[in-house]
Amino acid sequence: MQNQENLDADGKAESVISIQTSEYDSWGNLGDDDIMLQKSAIFVQEAEKVPFVGDKEPLSSLEAEYKSGSPILLEKIKVLSGQYAAIRRTRGDGNCFFRSFMFSYLEHILESQDKTEVDRIKTNVENCRKTLRSLGYTEFTFEDFFALFLEQLESALQGNESSISHEELVIRSRDQSISDYVVMFFRFVTSGEIQKRSEFFEPFIMGLTNGTVDQFCKTAVEPMGEESDHVHIIALSDALGVPIRVLYLDRSSCDSGGLSVNHHDFVPATTEVASGSAASEIKIPFITLLYRPGHYDILYPK
Amino acid sequence: MQASRARLFKEYKEVQREKVADPDIQLVCDDSNIFKWTALIKGPSETPFEGGVFQLAFAVPEQYPLQPPQVRFLTKIFHPNVHFKTGEICLDILKNAWSPAWTLQSVCRAIIALMAHPEPDSPLNCDSGNLLRSGDARGYQSMARMYTRLAAMPKKG
Repeated sequence: MQNQENLDADGKAESVISIQTSEYDSWGNLGDDDIMLQKSAIFVQEAEKVPFVGDKEPLSSLEAEYKSGSPILLEKIKVLSGQYAAIRRTRGDGNCFFRSFMFSYLEHILESQDKTEVDRIKTNVENCRKTLRSLGYTEFTFEDFFALFLEQLESALQGNESSISHEELVIRSRDQSISDYVVMFFRFVTSGEIQKRSEFFEPFIMGLTNGTVDQFCKTAVEPMGEESDHVHIIALSDALGVPIRVLYLDRSSCDSGGLSVNHHDFVPATTEVASGSAASEIKIPFITLLYRPGHYDILYPK
Repeated sequence: MQASRARLFKEYKEVQREKVADPDIQLVCDDSNIFKWTALIKGPSETPFEGGVFQLAFAVPEQYPLQPPQVRFLTKIFHPNVHFKTGEICLDILKNAWSPAWTLQSVCRAIIALMAHPEPDSPLNCDSGNLLRSGDARGYQSMARMYTRLAAMPKKG
């Protein structure tokens, strides 16, 4: 009882402050706070290497990365470069899918000035807000994140006071106080959608974890830095009504001749039912992401 | 910084409103610093902590609510997931499972739930954890009750 993990060997662990200044003499002295500090130090280190959202790079930079890598990958990159011109990398901090989606979507609005799309997504955003409310979320826990996303959406449209340039969009995407808030907005939206349609998502989630839908949302969707899986992508795409194309760059191949890069289009479930005429005008998703095991980046078609 | 301040102010108002609804939690903000809070929580009934009042200290980081508040027990407590000396709490929502959906108030509720349902497999207090893991629930309860009496109840006479 007396001796708690020998922490008090030098007799100074009694004071609360001394755990902050603990020396590296033993791993046993590492408290949870130290581990958190170390973790955030690693994040800072990583941050210096890659911004949240990188610059647009020609696809050849991807090729260079795998110069001495698997021939299958090199072959696939060659196939990719037939259709895609550029890549924009995002930081591998577990938020890369949401971050890629954020930039890609806002960039699309900025370039297309598609006011109809903005009005459409705003309706969906309001529905997401209602979903969270009906699930029992306290309004003030999510409203700031919603407000910040709507603000970005508004400023992507030109012709008002808050309008921003493409350059400014890049700057904002790299500004933690904006970028992380928008990522968190998507996490709330995703979590709300999964819980709202829990009977639909349950079998998928059971394949990923042993927990319940609720536990999954609490531990794998809402916390920042938790990586996204198909479940997250389906839920976000459905909730916001935005189709997403994902290209898979992995070492899979088939024996029958030429290599191709697999892709999958996540098409929002609701749009097909809602508007009967929509079937005739199915569009290619304007968001294209490149998936490499464990990471998402943004791709630009030619 | 501005965002965290605004959020904490909302929580402050919410706390005033919830006071009656949640009589087991008394959350107070420091007079001069909105990033410092303390809470008094009642030990849950049918646990060795029943009848005790435990004080928690909150230090809220500037990146709140993207980052969790730091919370520790100021009142000594014998519990597998609370460090016996520092009062540090081992609770996933205060670490990697944190999300802005939590509030200072709901963190208090989670800590009360942790008091009632210890997780002896990830102990910060090994002695306490070992008692439970070896099946000595009676030993655990009497130790925990003793410290509740010693540290978390008003001293008699």
